[in-house]
Amino acid sequence: MNKHLVNLTTNPCKMCMPMGVITAFYGINKCMSILHGSQGCSTYIRRHMATHYNEPVDIASSSLTEHGTVYGGEKNLIAGIENLIKLYNPEVIGVATTCLAETIGEDISHIIKNFYEKHPESTVKLIPVPSGGYMGTQYEGFFRALYGIVTHIEMDQEPNGKVNIITGQLSPADTRYLKALLSAFEIDYILLPDLSDNLDGGHFEKYSRLPKGGTPLQDISKMAGAKATIELSTFTDESYSPGKYLNEKFGVSYIRLDLPVGLRSMDALVKALSKVSGKPVPNTIKEERARYLDAMIDSHKYNAEGRAVVFGEPDFVYAVTRLCSENGIMPVVAATGTKCKGLKETLKKDIQDVADRLFIIEHITFDEADFEMIESYALRYRANLMIGSSDGRRIEEKHGIPLIRCAFPVHDRIGGQRIRMLGYEGGLLLLDTITNVLLMHKEGGFRKELYFKYYKGKNKEQNLKIGEPSPKDSSKIRELSLIIKLPVVREEEKELTLEDKKKTHPCFSCSSAHKYARIHLPIAPKCNISCNYCVRKFDCPNESRPGVTTQVLEPKEALERYIQVKKDVPNLTVVGIAGPGDALANFEKTKETLVLIKAYDKNVTFCLSTNGLMLPLYASELLDLGVSHVTVTINAVDPKIGAEIYKEVRYLGTTYRGEQAAAVLLSNQLAGLKYLADRGLVCKVNIVTLKGINDHHIEEVVKKVKALGASITNIMQMIPVKGSVFENIPLVSHKEIMALREKCGIHLEQMYHCKQCRADAIGLLDKDISMHYAVPEDKKEAELSPKGKTAIRFAVASKSGMLIDEHFGHAKTFYIYEYKDGKSVYIENRDVDKYCRGAEDCEEEQDKIEKIFKTIQDCQGVLAVRIGSSPEKKLIDKGISVFKTYDRIEKAVQEAAQKLL
Amino acid sequence: MSSIEKVLDKYSSKVYKNRKKHILEKTDGDQEIAADVRTVPGVMTNRGCCYAGCKGVVLSPIKDAAVITHGPIGCGFYTWGTRRHKARKDEDTKSFLEYCFSTDMQEADIVFGGEKKLRQAIKETVEIFDPATIVICSTCPVGLIGDDIHAIASEAEKLYGRKVMAFSCEGYKGVSQSGGHHIASNGLIKHVIGTGDRTPKKFAVNILGEYNIGGDGWEITRILKRIGYDIVCSLPGDGSYVEIKSAHVADLNLVQCHRSINYVAEMMKEQYGTAWLKVNFIGIESTIESLRNMAKFFDDPDLTAKTEEIIADEVAAIMDDIGYYKTKLKGKTAALFVGGSRSHHYQKLLNDLGMETILAGYEFGHRDDYEGREVIPTIKQDGDSKNIESIKVEKVPDKYKVFLSEDRYEKLKEEIGLEYYGGMVKEMNNGSVIVDDLNHFETEEFLKMLKPDVFFSGIKDKFVAQKGGTLSRQLHSYDYSGPYAGFNGAVNFARDVTMGIYTPAWGFVKAPWKVEPTLEGQVVGGEV
Repeated sequence: MNKHLVNLTTNPCKMCMPMGVITAFYGINKCMSILHGSQGCSTYIRRHMATHYNEPVDIASSSLTEHGTVYGGEKNLIAGIENLIKLYNPEVIGVATTCLAETIGEDISHIIKNFYEKHPESTVKLIPVPSGGYMGTQYEGFFRALYGIVTHIEMDQEPNGKVNIITGQLSPADTRYLKALLSAFEIDYILLPDLSDNLDGGHFEKYSRLPKGGTPLQDISKMAGAKATIELSTFTDESYSPGKYLNEKFGVSYIRLDLPVGLRSMDALVKALSKVSGKPVPNTIKEERARYLDAMIDSHKYNAEGRAVVFGEPDFVYAVTRLCSENGIMPVVAATGTKCKGLKETLKKDIQDVADRLFIIEHITFDEADFEMIESYALRYRANLMIGSSDGRRIEEKHGIPLIRCAFPVHDRIGGQRIRMLGYEGGLLLLDTITNVLLMHKEGGFRKELYFKYYKGKNKEQNLKIGEPSPKDSSKIRELSLIIKLPVVREEEKELTLEDKKKTHPCFSCSSAHKYARIHLPIAPKCNISCNYCVRKFDCPNESRPGVTTQVLEPKEALERYIQVKKDVPNLTVVGIAGPGDALANFEKTKETLVLIKAYDKNVTFCLSTNGLMLPLYASELLDLGVSHVTVTINAVDPKIGAEIYKEVRYLGTTYRGEQAAAVLLSNQLAGLKYLADRGLVCKVNIVTLKGINDHHIEEVVKKVKALGASITNIMQMIPVKGSVFENIPLVSHKEIMALREKCGIHLEQMYHCKQCRADAIGLLDKDISMHYAVPEDKKEAELSPKGKTAIRFAVASKSGMLIDEHFGHAKTFYIYEYKDGKSVYIENRDVDKYCRGAEDCEEEQDKIEKIFKTIQDCQGVLAVRIGSSPEKKLIDKGISVFKTYDRIEKAVQEAAQKLL
Repeated sequence: MSSIEKVLDKYSSKVYKNRKKHILEKTDGDQEIAADVRTVPGVMTNRGCCYAGCKGVVLSPIKDAAVITHGPIGCGFYTWGTRRHKARKDEDTKSFLEYCFSTDMQEADIVFGGEKKLRQAIKETVEIFDPATIVICSTCPVGLIGDDIHAIASEAEKLYGRKVMAFSCEGYKGVSQSGGHHIASNGLIKHVIGTGDRTPKKFAVNILGEYNIGGDGWEITRILKRIGYDIVCSLPGDGSYVEIKSAHVADLNLVQCHRSINYVAEMMKEQYGTAWLKVNFIGIESTIESLRNMAKFFDDPDLTAKTEEIIADEVAAIMDDIGYYKTKLKGKTAALFVGGSRSHHYQKLLNDLGMETILAGYEFGHRDDYEGREVIPTIKQDGDSKNIESIKVEKVPDKYKVFLSEDRYEKLKEEIGLEYYGGMVKEMNNGSVIVDDLNHFETEEFLKMLKPDVFFSGIKDKFVAQKGGTLSRQLHSYDYSGPYAGFNGAVNFARDVTMGIYTPAWGFVKAPWKVEPTLEGQVVGGEV
């Protein structure tokens, strides 16, 4: 979803090239490395490697300062190499560059030449690897270092019958396994590189500062005389593949195999080893394979529930994704941070195969990933496990998706050096881990799930709980910790005035809709949840029509407005707080306003609408304040569905996402609703219908809220908001809404007359006069006069009331705006039909356009998303300018006005 | 040969000459140490770079700031949540501590410039995250290719109606992360402090240079709040841009880490008249001393009484635990090698536990951190220190306020060391070793010779110590433990050190077949 955001990388899923270079050099015997650049690079890489491997990691630095960047860093680099030799006495030194050295154009090959000229006696082999941080990731760096090593070492071409094994970044434990495997075939091998000892050393009485393990140079020099090279990497570019180089330069036969993770890849390696060694597959290996196969069968019955996210280096992602797919675990997201165009195509067949088996339609494979993207897809495709480095821990913490840490770097667990996944044995260990994560999830929650499904206790609703679910375990979502004890009011004590109350409120009774006026006071700007159909900056499109409260009032101003309106509209009976955010997220303001108005007019009916999150906390205060009508928007009564609707919920200082968020919100909504209904409040429940998300679930919602005491539900259409997650979901048609209302009407009374009012609406439901009160009395005259000096009037074709999103000819309503003093101000709505005097005659297209012309004839400009050429010409002929755009209304009106002025 | 000579002996004459000035054995009288100068290339320093000090240390902990690293991906990645500076978010404050934002510059951006990408990245940050403020930190190549991040920042500031700050903290500037602290401090003074208008309550203080590693800051805040202080802001640990804006309304700046934040304290003194006091909340005795000094500053009978009451209460609560750990730790020795103040602060805590420090050094301390602020006038400026911008500030008349009378100020200078820091060396025992910018080789050699029971350092030297058989505790990240500050922190620390020294593992280091003679009476197994 964020693919277009190419400029901001949020939480990277990759590291820089020098990291890979240094790691590869750690697999060479008696080797140290030095980074040519500022010392931070060495320090950072040491810190990251040491934490993962739990071993000393020593990388020297040429410690370039500003002086060096100006005059060149040769002196520093040579001094650095000299000191390194003096203190560590290595046989090989990997000399790698950094962003800094590459940017100032340091030629390290030349500097190395100068070093040898200065020290002709030196026998230390210096191997240069250009590796600016911007030239690629650690994945490329690793193979570039290996390529640098084979190309810089003098080769002995004498045939020696050895076999070259070249690998990517394996864990030391996996490397040891690979070596044992080669020995089992009695293969005389040269392993490049060999990380097994240097990054996983034991504890001995004496510590040697120069790592003793790794492949010696003299072995590497024999690679040119080997009989074959097996390179274990799926995606390494051939332009720097050591195997390819040895093949082209010295004629060593060369095959490329995938990392031997999972059954098929390991089979391929075993076959190749058998062939190259001329030996049958040893029994021990056959037994290992048999055990893995047995394990695959044992665990298959649990694996189909797995929806995995695999992320990391391309070869790792490829290998682990294939392991998942051959075990029937659906890899819903496979992502690498590195540029790797081939990943998607190469994995396509494997992923499709398991998707077909499990009837899973949505999944994705992509490169150049960052964790922001991985996170959004993980949620969208309902992943239940992640496999990769510990960098996924933030997603794990936030959403409770368990993370299996088996790739570099692992920073929050111990044992990064001993990760196992190679071969039948390693594959089995990884598979067991994956299956056990799925089982843990199941064991942790399924009894409760069954209980709720089949064994609901009678008084369950009275034990509604709110609070924080355990962040680690999403299965515990329903077991919410903090219990609010809600005293139950007995039936007979309830005042039997529900019907009376409903009758005087326009929103709660159709008959009163035309008799009683209401005022919505826009005093509540903040919101505490984030809905996917909403963009916060445009206010709440559900509780109010989007973006169209002209100003937010302070409580005192709200009282003034009430007094003013009451004077003009004597049938004003209802005061409502409907946003533009959430009334209870701004409780202090809400409270103050209600107290002020109550003091002025004790006969007023108070109502407010809320998302319900804070209801349990404020419910009793609402009663005390005399609120008699409450509207709660409840779009789902299942956290799974809720998770798709709510992006996040901020509750008591914690931000929840996903199912946790939905669960917290839901329990509070239900607890609050029950509490208020029990105490005789008229409770309306608004349900926003979202096609494909909750449209099948609405009846459930209605039944549930009825059981809790709601007296009416209002099933409504979603208003699409640009920039929101649901911007492009198809709309539910009016017909479908009516059908839903009818269907749900069996259970509970429905509201058929909803107008989805503005947050600052005033008057009768079908006659909003709020604009007359948009400004304080003293300024009103000048502002209201449409013929004001610089006022320009515009007709805006809009469906949503927020965006210019309607074709001129299709508009049934025009939003009339005025531009004055640098501001665009909403004036009124004009229905095209009302302006047409002879409705019966208006069937023809031509007449319709005529009708529109009449509707907007006093405007100087028209804004629409598109307009036919002939109406456009007509408008221009009439002196009305036409602006075709798709934008927020206020903004577009301002821009249009600028053009006219 | 002394231990120092033995270590230096291995160096080439050039390096010997250089390193000798950085190492000394404590004796009576004034001793000068070389510090804050260029690292010798190739000797495996533990120092970081300017970017690390600016972005990684000072700016990252400011929770409501979205920090965009302008540069290739590595530096941003490596500073992503690696320092354990904790922060709380609440309803009104967003926290971006779990995020890493980077422009991820590619080769083409280096060739053609990265300004366009940065502009776009800022735009996206505003649109998606809507942070209170945006901070841009540059890495090495940016300074070289000439992207004007400051111009972009001021342009963005106008465009998006919020503070956007740029920090030119390229890694090659200065000689260590210390330069970065200075650059970050300059920016905070220029752009943030003094722009807020919170009304202070009685006893208003700022906590400067406390990074809330493992929750240290929370423990300190807990104690100060119990006494009744109004904490205007904590800079930067668990701090927020919104709070830091009002830092100038405080009566007193508490300076925990002198090295990294004295710049802010000094400049605020110039601009707003805010006095500062060096405090140390690491260690029981030093926490008590700091609290008493603060009470003296405010000179209010109620506050003083409350201070004593809380001290008595807190100490009583931890006495039993500390008493027990003391029996386990008394007489043990320690070596300390950390940043620019912890090597000093923790000596106090070790003293509380009956332990002695036999070696200590700073990674990036300056001479005044070793020898005291009195040497500042004698510190020679070199090319490297001149490369770090030092800004001149002036009195801000409408926000300038003086809390103390002139007499009282002079008196307190004497009495509580107001606006003074005496450095580490004075408080160390004769014969102990002090090493500036200790490197891998020296670490190993000194540990072998001095054989401390514990080596307190960071992750990079941790495993060297452990492989050599010396217990290591990390004082940068606390090995995922903490807090170590204040009264409760002292108990945590004592427990962690005891646990480490008495772990059964050390008892198994020597394999039985190595200590028991075999039938032939030979020791076999050999060295590996």
